Amino acid sequence: MLAQKLHLLRHNFLSFVSSRTGSDLTRRQYDVIVVGGGHAGTEAAAAAARLGAETLLITQKITTIGALSCNPSLGGVGKGQLVREVDALDGLCGRAGDWAGVHFSILNRSKGPAVWGPRAQLDRERYRQFIQSELLSTPRLTVLEGSVDELLVSQPNPEEPGHHRVTGIRLVDGSHPILSSSVVLTTGTFLSGSLFMGQTTSPGGRIGDVPSCAGLSYTLKETLGLRVGRLRTGTPPRIVKESVDLSLAQLQAPDKQPTPFSFLNTHTRCKPEEQLPCYLTHTTPGVETVVRESVHLNCHIQQDTKGPRYCPSIESRVLRFPGRRHQVWLEPEGLTSDLLYPQGLSMTMPPDLQLRLLREIPALHRAEIRTPGYGVQYDFVCPTQLTPSLQVKSTQGLFLAGQINGTTGYEEAAAQGLWAGVNAGRTALSLPPMALSRTQSYIGVLIDDLVGRGVTEPYRMFTSRAEFRTYLRPDNADLRLTPRGFEEVGCVTLRRYEKAVSVRDGLQEALMALQSVALSSTRWREKLGNISLSENKSTTLKCSIGSGLWLGHSDFQRHVPKPLLHCLGCVLRIVVLPCH
Amino acid sequence: EGDVLCCMRRGLCIPTRAVCDAETIFALSSGHGRCGVAVVRVSGPASSMVLRNMAGLTQALPSPRTALLRRITDPQSKELLDRGLVLWFQGPHSFTGEDSAEFHIHGGPAVITAVLQALGSLEGVRPAEAGEFTRRAFHAGKLGLTEVEGLGDLIHAETEAQRRQALRQMDGELGRLYQDWGYRLKRCLAHVEAFIDFSEDELIEDGVLNQVDSSVRQLEAEIERHLKDERRGERLRSGVQVVIAGATNAGKSSLLNTLCQRPAAIVSPIAGTTRDIVETSLDIGGFPVLLSDTAGLRDSSDSVEREGVRRARQRVEQADLTLVVVDSTQLPPDPQLVPAFLQEHLSTVLPSPSPEAGMEAASDRVLLVLNKSDLVPEEQRERTEGELRESTGLPPACFLSCYTSTGLEDFLTVLQSRVKTLCGDPLSGAPSLTQARHRAHLQQSVQALIQYHQYRDQDLALAAEGVRLALTHLGRITGRVGAEEILDIIFRDFCIGK
Repeated sequence: MLAQKLHLLRHNFLSFVSSRTGSDLTRRQYDVIVVGGGHAGTEAAAAAARLGAETLLITQKITTIGALSCNPSLGGVGKGQLVREVDALDGLCGRAGDWAGVHFSILNRSKGPAVWGPRAQLDRERYRQFIQSELLSTPRLTVLEGSVDELLVSQPNPEEPGHHRVTGIRLVDGSHPILSSSVVLTTGTFLSGSLFMGQTTSPGGRIGDVPSCAGLSYTLKETLGLRVGRLRTGTPPRIVKESVDLSLAQLQAPDKQPTPFSFLNTHTRCKPEEQLPCYLTHTTPGVETVVRESVHLNCHIQQDTKGPRYCPSIESRVLRFPGRRHQVWLEPEGLTSDLLYPQGLSMTMPPDLQLRLLREIPALHRAEIRTPGYGVQYDFVCPTQLTPSLQVKSTQGLFLAGQINGTTGYEEAAAQGLWAGVNAGRTALSLPPMALSRTQSYIGVLIDDLVGRGVTEPYRMFTSRAEFRTYLRPDNADLRLTPRGFEEVGCVTLRRYEKAVSVRDGLQEALMALQSVALSSTRWREKLGNISLSENKSTTLKCSIGSGLWLGHSDFQRHVPKPLLHCLGCVLRIVVLPCH
Repeated sequence: EGDVLCCMRRGLCIPTRAVCDAETIFALSSGHGRCGVAVVRVSGPASSMVLRNMAGLTQALPSPRTALLRRITDPQSKELLDRGLVLWFQGPHSFTGEDSAEFHIHGGPAVITAVLQALGSLEGVRPAEAGEFTRRAFHAGKLGLTEVEGLGDLIHAETEAQRRQALRQMDGELGRLYQDWGYRLKRCLAHVEAFIDFSEDELIEDGVLNQVDSSVRQLEAEIERHLKDERRGERLRSGVQVVIAGATNAGKSSLLNTLCQRPAAIVSPIAGTTRDIVETSLDIGGFPVLLSDTAGLRDSSDSVEREGVRRARQRVEQADLTLVVVDSTQLPPDPQLVPAFLQEHLSTVLPSPSPEAGMEAASDRVLLVLNKSDLVPEEQRERTEGELRESTGLPPACFLSCYTSTGLEDFLTVLQSRVKTLCGDPLSGAPSLTQARHRAHLQQSVQALIQYHQYRDQDLALAAEGVRLALTHLGRITGRVGAEEILDIIFRDFCIGK
């Protein structure tokens, strides 16, 4: 499959940009229009198209579709669960991560399989290419470069709740409207976005890109009367790799054997030995001094807009927890990139002071900055105005996903995008909307928290938010979601469904086979190592489907009892329950 | 109305409570039956409208919490219903936290009915369901769960000590104790959660978990100690079970009648008169006592009497305090032999002591009543009393004549001090556990904390589940704890920066 993907990339990438854009657009009517080409927009467009809806994705710049605007990584604790769930529902980001990853690790490996966090450092270029080629090869999906000026609404369908009904969009170029049954807005930080660096402010959602026009923001606030709040976030400066003295930082190696995100993949594109390391270093008291000197030159930090407590800029970290050493991770930006990404050093002070601050850190004492860090402030729509299908309660057919709902993070955006795309597609196809329960998925937890409680700061997923955490494991996302995604939702392709069903059946078979083997506890211990078992003469194992915490044991694989040989692949997903 | 229709169309997506709370409710808050003054309470957004319409207040409302004498009229017919006091409580400064009003009217059934009917005729006003005022107060955050329970107990308190305990609970003392545990447990959970969610990227030291270990252990110990209060608070709330037991014709029923000062049980010189259990509740020195008289213990061929004896023995096993009645004319004439005789007699009446309880504990739960003292020569009685004072291992014994009431004062003093010990002083020391429901949740909470230690080194997610579960059970007493609260603690205590 990977080879086939590469082939697609080489042959179709350029033609995709030219042939499917702008002037030669033939249709004027779609089932679903998705506005925005970030993590939410791409998942939304792909999901709606998978469902069978004729879909149009509108983005300001086709070349930035699938761009990683901030950190070059995917997954982590809580976020990894989201990636697995998006993949289980046949979304893009898991496979894109496997294609683009250059450093894979499972976080929290010592803390129990429910909270394992699959994570990868990504090659930005490869990620973008994968997403773009994937969208290109998706049937029923058209991509259009353009800027949306206005959301078109009309009288609501009286049979349904709501005060308005969405009918389509109008582009800035003023041409005729493009009509659709549903619209998904995934405008990210571009909704009335402004960029901050030092004392300068400019309109925009990402550095180097043109700002979105104010029309959309006006429609949401004035025409639809939606309550809107303001949030802020930031990104660190990008550092020239050659200028960094990596010998003064601590090497962080990836896992020896990369674990893919996607349930479809058995291995990642990056070979184990090709993986790149990360580096860990720390702030010094000098950093704190520079921050204090720069406060009066830093208008982003002086604003009282809500920023996240868990992804604060170095300024707010130092001001809130003074006198401490803070961690800084130096992450690769890709196989061919000459840049490093300093995770933990997001900052908005003037560029000359940014350089001074970096150089207070020993490993960065000669660091050169390629692009300085900056802050973004943007509007978000208070998500309590949405239904659990992510539709705006007052406006039939209008769906919101991603940062526009007050979240932060690629994974959170992708998860919402997928679910908004599913429901936008279902609405267009006259199917009833669907909701995911928080008892069955992290996506359900995320959406339920958003629409039920709202946000006061950018919302990020943590495993502690999931009441049913011990069940919502990253390893069983396919069993939890894929069959339902195919049978009820319609967003899962047959190929993936068949795979999930065969895995489910294989696991059941392996489980029964394993439970039928009775050995003395001494013999079990020989095979399984130090495991607590009751001291009966002959005993069967008490097992359940989970992560291979016990059976992944390499000794076991050498002494597999015969009845199990044929289902060895599945045995690795079975866990022996310890006896107490 | 539009909102309600909209909810119905969408199914059950909106909790019905949100709709109910927009309604105004009323109820007779004082007791039923003829009385001097009756109080009718109104709560909800239409309270001011009710007050205006019923008390003829066309202009301004009375100043809040001030009594005003008004003519109370039917809003439709304008007929005079009564003259009484009206009070206005502007939300949130009211019991329910909503706008409220009170009508203090004359307590005759006709007046009350007329006023209630008039209230019911107003639009958007309906009779309250049982406990609805308190429920609204709870939802408005005016009362915690333990306080609500305390309020319920206060309304039902029959004795002085019960009243003091209920008042103390309503004051939130028990709530504060549980809330303190809840707070500490929340911190434990927050620190475990921080370790799970952030330790891979952030500087969260391993020491954090060691601190949690010791906090959890300490909490476990404190809750266990609270649980080991021998049910003192519950006993005070529901009454001390005192059982009168002994051989036939020892005068058990006479003792019951003497204590409750009325002929509650049939007494006769015929052995085996009492066959079933006769129960009566008493107030002894301010403490509630549930006194039961039982059938005399003897082997009998009569199947009805045998059943009575079985019930008697069962009751003795469940008793908080057993009064073993002995006919003092049956005591050995030689006072020196009396202690051994009584010891022997007790072993036939009381259930055989469980090995861990020992004789000491049992003697705390027993009083010996040596009845018919008027039939024993005074000199022999005094010598016997002397012997009993000297002997050890026997429960306190009192000579008493139910017939002449001689010795009753002394016996009551002993009984009262026993009952008081069993209930504990409701005003001293740590507040006691008052409800079986609380006990069950606290026990489950401790169980869950044991799970934490069990999984601590093997699977931290499962260990954290133990703390979560413990907090859920405690939350059933103090109110639910949400994920946001845990995150608040995490971000206050740690610098999470990634």
